Amino acid sequence: MAGSRSALVLCMDVGLSMSNNAPGEESAYEQAKKVMQKFVQRQVFAETKDELALVLFGTDSTNNRLDQDGQYQNITVHRHLMIPDFELLEEIENQIQPENSQADWLDALVVCMDLIKTETKDKKYDRFIIALLTDLSTQASSEHLDVIIENLKQTDITLQFFLPFPAEEDEDENGGRDADRRGPGHPGTGKGLTSEQRDGLDMVKHVMLTLDEDEGLGEIYTFRNAIEQLRMFKRIEKRPTAWPCQLTIGSCLSIRIIGYKAVTDEKMKKMWVTVDAQSNQREDVKRETVYCLDDDNETEVQMDDTIQGFRYGSDIVPFSKVDQDQMKYRHDGKCFAVLGFTKQSLVQRHHFMGNQVMKIFPAKDDEHAAVALSSLIRALDELEMVAIVRYAYNKVSNPQVGAAFPCVKQNYECLMYVQLPFMEDLRLFTFPSLENNKKFTPSESQLSAVDSLIDSMMLVEEEEDGEKKDLFKVHQIPNPAFQRHFQCLHHRALNPDTPLPAMEPWLKAALERPEVISERCKAPLGDVKKQFPLTEVEKKKQLKTSAQIFGKDSEEPDAKKAKGDEEEGEYNLADIAEGSVTSVGSVDPARDFRTLIKQKTLPFGEACQQLTHRIEQLLSNKNTHYYMKSITCIQAFREQSIKLENADLYNSYLQSLKRSIPNRGLGVFWDLLVQDGVTLISKDEVEGCKVSKSEANQFLVSEEKKEEAAAPPPAEDTGDFDDLLDMM
Amino acid sequence: MAEWNAYYRNDGDDEEEQEEGEQSGGSYKITGRDSLVFLVDASKEMFIKGEDGQPSNFDMTMQVVRSVYSSKIISSHRDLVALVFYGTEESKNPRNSFKHVYVYHDLDEPGAKRVQEVDALRGDEGAKLAAKTMGSGETSLGDALWCCANLYSDIKLRLSHKRLMIFTCRDEPHIGDSTKDRQARTKANDLKETGVIIDLMHLMKPGGFDVAPFFRDIVSPPEDESELGLQLEPCNKLDDLQKRVRAKELRKRTMARLNLCLGEGINVAVGMYATAVTAKKPVPIRLYRETNEPVRSKTRTFHTQTGSLLLPSEIKKSQTYGKKQIVMEKDEVDSIKKFEDPGLHLIGFKPMERLKLHHHIRPAVFLYPEEDEMKGSSCLVSALLTKCSERNVFALCRCVSRRNCAPRFVALVPQNEQVDEAKTQITPPGFNVIFLPFADDMRTLDPPQCPTASDTQVDKMKEIVSKLRFKYRSGAFENPVIQQHYRNLEALALDMMAPEDIEDLIMPKVDQIDRRLGPLSDEFKDMVYPPGYNPDGKPAAKRKTAENGGGAEKKPKIEVGVDELKAHMQNGTIGKLTVPVLKEACKQLGIRTTGTKKQELIDALTAQLGS
Repeated sequence: MAGSRSALVLCMDVGLSMSNNAPGEESAYEQAKKVMQKFVQRQVFAETKDELALVLFGTDSTNNRLDQDGQYQNITVHRHLMIPDFELLEEIENQIQPENSQADWLDALVVCMDLIKTETKDKKYDRFIIALLTDLSTQASSEHLDVIIENLKQTDITLQFFLPFPAEEDEDENGGRDADRRGPGHPGTGKGLTSEQRDGLDMVKHVMLTLDEDEGLGEIYTFRNAIEQLRMFKRIEKRPTAWPCQLTIGSCLSIRIIGYKAVTDEKMKKMWVTVDAQSNQREDVKRETVYCLDDDNETEVQMDDTIQGFRYGSDIVPFSKVDQDQMKYRHDGKCFAVLGFTKQSLVQRHHFMGNQVMKIFPAKDDEHAAVALSSLIRALDELEMVAIVRYAYNKVSNPQVGAAFPCVKQNYECLMYVQLPFMEDLRLFTFPSLENNKKFTPSESQLSAVDSLIDSMMLVEEEEDGEKKDLFKVHQIPNPAFQRHFQCLHHRALNPDTPLPAMEPWLKAALERPEVISERCKAPLGDVKKQFPLTEVEKKKQLKTSAQIFGKDSEEPDAKKAKGDEEEGEYNLADIAEGSVTSVGSVDPARDFRTLIKQKTLPFGEACQQLTHRIEQLLSNKNTHYYMKSITCIQAFREQSIKLENADLYNSYLQSLKRSIPNRGLGVFWDLLVQDGVTLISKDEVEGCKVSKSEANQFLVSEEKKEEAAAPPPAEDTGDFDDLLDMM
Repeated sequence: MAEWNAYYRNDGDDEEEQEEGEQSGGSYKITGRDSLVFLVDASKEMFIKGEDGQPSNFDMTMQVVRSVYSSKIISSHRDLVALVFYGTEESKNPRNSFKHVYVYHDLDEPGAKRVQEVDALRGDEGAKLAAKTMGSGETSLGDALWCCANLYSDIKLRLSHKRLMIFTCRDEPHIGDSTKDRQARTKANDLKETGVIIDLMHLMKPGGFDVAPFFRDIVSPPEDESELGLQLEPCNKLDDLQKRVRAKELRKRTMARLNLCLGEGINVAVGMYATAVTAKKPVPIRLYRETNEPVRSKTRTFHTQTGSLLLPSEIKKSQTYGKKQIVMEKDEVDSIKKFEDPGLHLIGFKPMERLKLHHHIRPAVFLYPEEDEMKGSSCLVSALLTKCSERNVFALCRCVSRRNCAPRFVALVPQNEQVDEAKTQITPPGFNVIFLPFADDMRTLDPPQCPTASDTQVDKMKEIVSKLRFKYRSGAFENPVIQQHYRNLEALALDMMAPEDIEDLIMPKVDQIDRRLGPLSDEFKDMVYPPGYNPDGKPAAKRKTAENGGGAEKKPKIEVGVDELKAHMQNGTIGKLTVPVLKEACKQLGIRTTGTKKQELIDALTAQLGS
């Protein structure tokens, strides 16, 4: 199969009559040219090995091998059989033009046949095609018709005609053979055919029916249909590769099978290559990856001086590629082994993994395998079960677990294999219930609005004859990414200096909601809009932070998101982890206090009161631990007071605290406070404060002296406690 | 996979070429890390060995700790774990302010060294080591809890989940010292107030462990009341903890937040979540050979001739088709990919049966409303969900999942919430987003014309199928490739002699299958395969040898006995025999047939033998 190619001759009439056109319509010449362009374009981008020649007839000059004794005149072989390229596209665009002569289309056909005969000698082709694009206006001499037909048959050449008018005029009324043939009246038909054209058409029909009794007329196309069909860039043809294997059930039962990729996420074949902007040469650009140490100099190290390692917790374990290969999981290679059978309903559609579906057929020309596989397919189908299998493509690829579904179609049967997830692949997330949340429960009227919306937007309708019609078949839409890609490439290739074109309208339209549906759903949509108020939540600042991009993914739904506070630098991450802080707790009062102030959950005064309450509690314990904790609280108190430019509460608290020190026997604590230099807030720090800088400094010093002078008499410590709090 | 990766990065400014594997780093910034403190009783009671040489409670605890350590390392190595002993003689804690509390490991990411250090505490040797380094002494659970609280507060990272597990076999640690009891309760409450969940892992205690008197005030309220009374058996959560899990744990995060546009001006905010993503082996890190320190890679583009670095403006992109080089600016290449801004656009609805099984091109994602982005989203999505599932339809949408990405069509398949008896969610409410193939994704195959099986053959296969029935559960199979890799890594990291063995769960259990099938597989084969047919061999070669063999030896093997013929007739498998075999049989039985066609031969034989 590989390397098969076809030889195709495009044979276009450029004669006088082709330029005629009815007002407002394109001439046959223009249409035929478009057909050729689109066709060649497809061939170029599909990058097949198919070869193509171009023969023009009706040219003023003559250039062909058979040109002798005034025979085969006005026929020009424009391009010999070769792989089509942009040169040919450019020639079609710029060089070919309507001319003023006429030539016999049968003569042109003979020239094409001769071309195929001489130019395909000694080479292998699996198909020969001649495509004639003409309006049949020139009288053709039918004397050698039989010989020509005989010759076509012998050489197994497929003949295709592209005409400005349909071969069977009543075809449209009969409903056409397939959807693509519908459409408004073809240009040319309106005018009525000339007698030459009628004769020509009869002759064409005769030829085609002689060549193929049943399907012959199917190879006659109109220009318009052809353009529509060719509009889509040919999808990238990939010949399915066969994967022969054995389906095994246990050790004794095996069935010879062959697998083909049936559906797969098709990617663009070609990658973009980076080139130098000036020379357009890829050789001028080099990409290089260097490794460097994570030090100040970013010292570079050679690739050879690096090894690979893997993270193991906080360590990185060196694990060379050689070792890795030696120790890695090995298996016996290619396999399709049944692990067991299970109910189809247990295999969930949204757990399909991988990006392909494989169809499994019996091995070629093995009717026993076919019967065996057929038994399995039918048994599974009737029991509504699937086979769970181990699948390995070959020895070097990783084995998978997957499901083989039975698929029984009218004209064939097969198994369909889809990969299923491993334990490691699944992420079991939980989401808040929608049903049980009253806030989100839709009302009856809301539900009925959605109901009528669904009614109006059903894409599958039952037609009068009971047939179901799908208005939007996704699997028949070409991938717009490819279409757009080739459109732009084609444009750029032929018009290097102009900007890229807009998207083709038909492509845009193909992706939109069908017109009928849009019309029909207008009213129900309006109702939905009325029934469901939707308001965008204002975001303070659209910051490009990781939080925005990754979303808030915290597993605890109540963990408050960044609280709209974007100053991340200063923001202690630990704060957020707390969840909501509503009061100053005992574990880390300083932090709670800061959070409360920042979030403005409580008025400043109240927060301060809570904090001092905690400080007093801590101090009652008479333990260095608690002293340290109290000091951090006082520091926090001070820092926040300065921030909010409200020093009064702090200063008065500290002063009263100082007064109570001797009575409560907190000398040790006071020393610590002095060591840390936690003093009053001065004028310099907060404007309007009554304490001067020197007073603040003095505040701690004097106490020191006093303490030295008079050793504090131990006293009951409860006395001042309430007083202190009252001050707040 | 590659495509989804892009979601985890900051909107792809040419980051495609960046090495994979960075993705895990960033996400933790916002989620915070889990933390777990093991608070283990190190009193004498813990070291008492059970009857019949059962390991001591301490030994068992160390086993659990080790297994959690090594699981964490693989599943979520950025989580923090700590190991603290209480009731020790020696003290070791950050400021050495607590007596009889020994912080063996402070809160940090676990690594190989820690696993080995825990290993050192296992077994008899471990008990000796523990006695030597820590000893057993007084107990003050209050101090121990306080010390743990300090461990938490010393962490400057954001912690998303804080858990503390107490392992002990003493239900009254302070033996009636009410001051200590009270202190412990206060500290426990403080911890709980900061969001720490305290779990009790009570161990084996002769006569049972009574949670009620002391520990019920210490621990966070359990889901199950029965956990509170007198416990004769050790805590059943221990088994779960011991289960080794070697799978990377992943956080819930949106891949994209989009608007689902039902029509002009009706936009619902939704988030897309990847719920099934092919797990890969972790990405290797480059290390400098001399020091084993990680190196960073830098990629740069420069001009081959001048050697100067090229700016993005100095390079272009090109492709060659039909012998022609087509050149575009990088911006143009991106603009080609752009169709519209990211979002979902409703096209219409289709009955569920229109969603074909084989319309599969990539794993599905999950869609859930984002009330925080657009108020009212949840209500509308909920209404859609209710109606879609009621009417058994799916919504067809055009989907652009991120910037500069071509549209795909997707089916939004409704999924109702399901909960089990314990009211835990099995399936969340929302839509599964199934990606649909375009024409280009469908390959044209020409299916071979093959004979089909008869009812008797199908019935025989049904027997086989029923014999091998099992209940499939998504995710029941581990990936042997990844499992092997982790075990190898473990072996290297912990200086083990050889990696632990893995059980390849996706290997068919051939013996078991054979046993269950018994004679069925032979019976089936007799019905579908002719004698001498070997399905395991190469087709062409086999046929040739059969012919050659037959020719050379004058077909001696193709005789069948009368009994065998009769058996075939009864089973209806006589058609499996080849024409030469049948002819030979006729000859032997002295049946004169004029016909040469298979059916004629069979008819003649049946007429002779059947009567």
